[in-house]
Amino acid sequence: MPSDVTTVSVSGNPDEYEDEHVHTVYDEIAGHFSSTRYKPWPIIAQFISSLPAGWVGLDSGTGNGKYLPLPLDRPGQLWTIGLDRSINLLRIAQTVGQKHREVVLGNVLDVPWRRGAFDYAISIATIHHLSTHERRKTAVKSLLQSISPDYGRALIYVWAMEQDSLSKRIIPGGQQTGETQVVTDKDKRGVDVFVPWVLKEPSSNRSNIPARHTSHQGTSPLTIMHESSAKAFNRFYHMFAAGELEQLVIEAAEDMNIQLGPKSTDSSINAGVSGIAVVQSGWERSNYYIELQRWRI
Amino acid sequence: MVRLITHNLLACHVRGCNSNNFPLQFQDVQIGLREAEFNPDFLRGFLPKIEWNALVDSARQLGDTSLPAEQPVMIDDDFLKTLHHVLLEIHVEEGAMVCPNCKHVYPISNGIPNMLLADHEIG
Repeated sequence: MPSDVTTVSVSGNPDEYEDEHVHTVYDEIAGHFSSTRYKPWPIIAQFISSLPAGWVGLDSGTGNGKYLPLPLDRPGQLWTIGLDRSINLLRIAQTVGQKHREVVLGNVLDVPWRRGAFDYAISIATIHHLSTHERRKTAVKSLLQSISPDYGRALIYVWAMEQDSLSKRIIPGGQQTGETQVVTDKDKRGVDVFVPWVLKEPSSNRSNIPARHTSHQGTSPLTIMHESSAKAFNRFYHMFAAGELEQLVIEAAEDMNIQLGPKSTDSSINAGVSGIAVVQSGWERSNYYIELQRWRI
Repeated sequence: MVRLITHNLLACHVRGCNSNNFPLQFQDVQIGLREAEFNPDFLRGFLPKIEWNALVDSARQLGDTSLPAEQPVMIDDDFLKTLHHVLLEIHVEEGAMVCPNCKHVYPISNGIPNMLLADHEIG
């Protein structure tokens, strides 16, 4: 059994749970985490490259902001604004690529924007940090409400239970695979886990942690002292099952009262009908992704 | 950073605050000017999506009166350079943004706006 990933059951107030097992962790590990996250994934780079000049986008859960400089081949033709819950990651994102970026401290559950103001939105490796199905659905809705109801485009990535054979991680209940999993059960749910992050040296950011987080006594699983100089932080993840991300989008569309499917060409349909099309979805390198486009008649 | 490109997109999201919740009003701001690369393609594409009156008013709150009250019909390089400066070269480093409707205050610290709300304020 690898010491890596352990299953957990979420309890208590989800806001507080995520504060402890996601936001505080990222604030502590920001510098080290960022030094390991620099290469954009190909499908995301392609998606952003396909967007026309003058588009403005939201990176919801931007982390260290590694997608903010894209597209690298035509810098400045798009503006992506980064939102994250970790102030220490945002401080890194603020100047990623040696240029000043636009970043906002906020929650991916909220819509602190004019509705539909963005042309596009991405949410990469973020929604899996939310601790209930309802909250993950809310995050998808918030993303869809941020983009234009007429043409807005979105791309979502989440960690999969089905892990790449090259991945170092083994997920309890998951399978090692190199291929896309076939959707078998629409009610299939993934698994809640802790994924540790080991800091070899004491973090220089510790003084930034609010007192209420450091006041937890021995019972807190937030930090486990390994050795005198190493510290493990348990990050919460919901590892997605095959089909679960699509199911979240279906439920989000239902809640928003918009159709799911390609733009209708039926001329008898009343003006004002709106919907969302799935442009592509799949599995890539231990992640599930889905690309969406909103439409309105 | 809070530049006017971002400010033109932000809106108050306190529960029940659905009208007159944009644009947020600047308060007690400290600003810095930093040169940014001029990209006319970006500006031409973004121009139709700007809430123009909000941009003009907000620039004036920051002491910049260079934009015309109405968006010009003829888009030339001089105009695009003015727009570029207003949208991308004025950085609000410290201060706050206040909702014109519910008066909620969103602080700005080290160039990062804090749009988080307490549980009971979330819409």
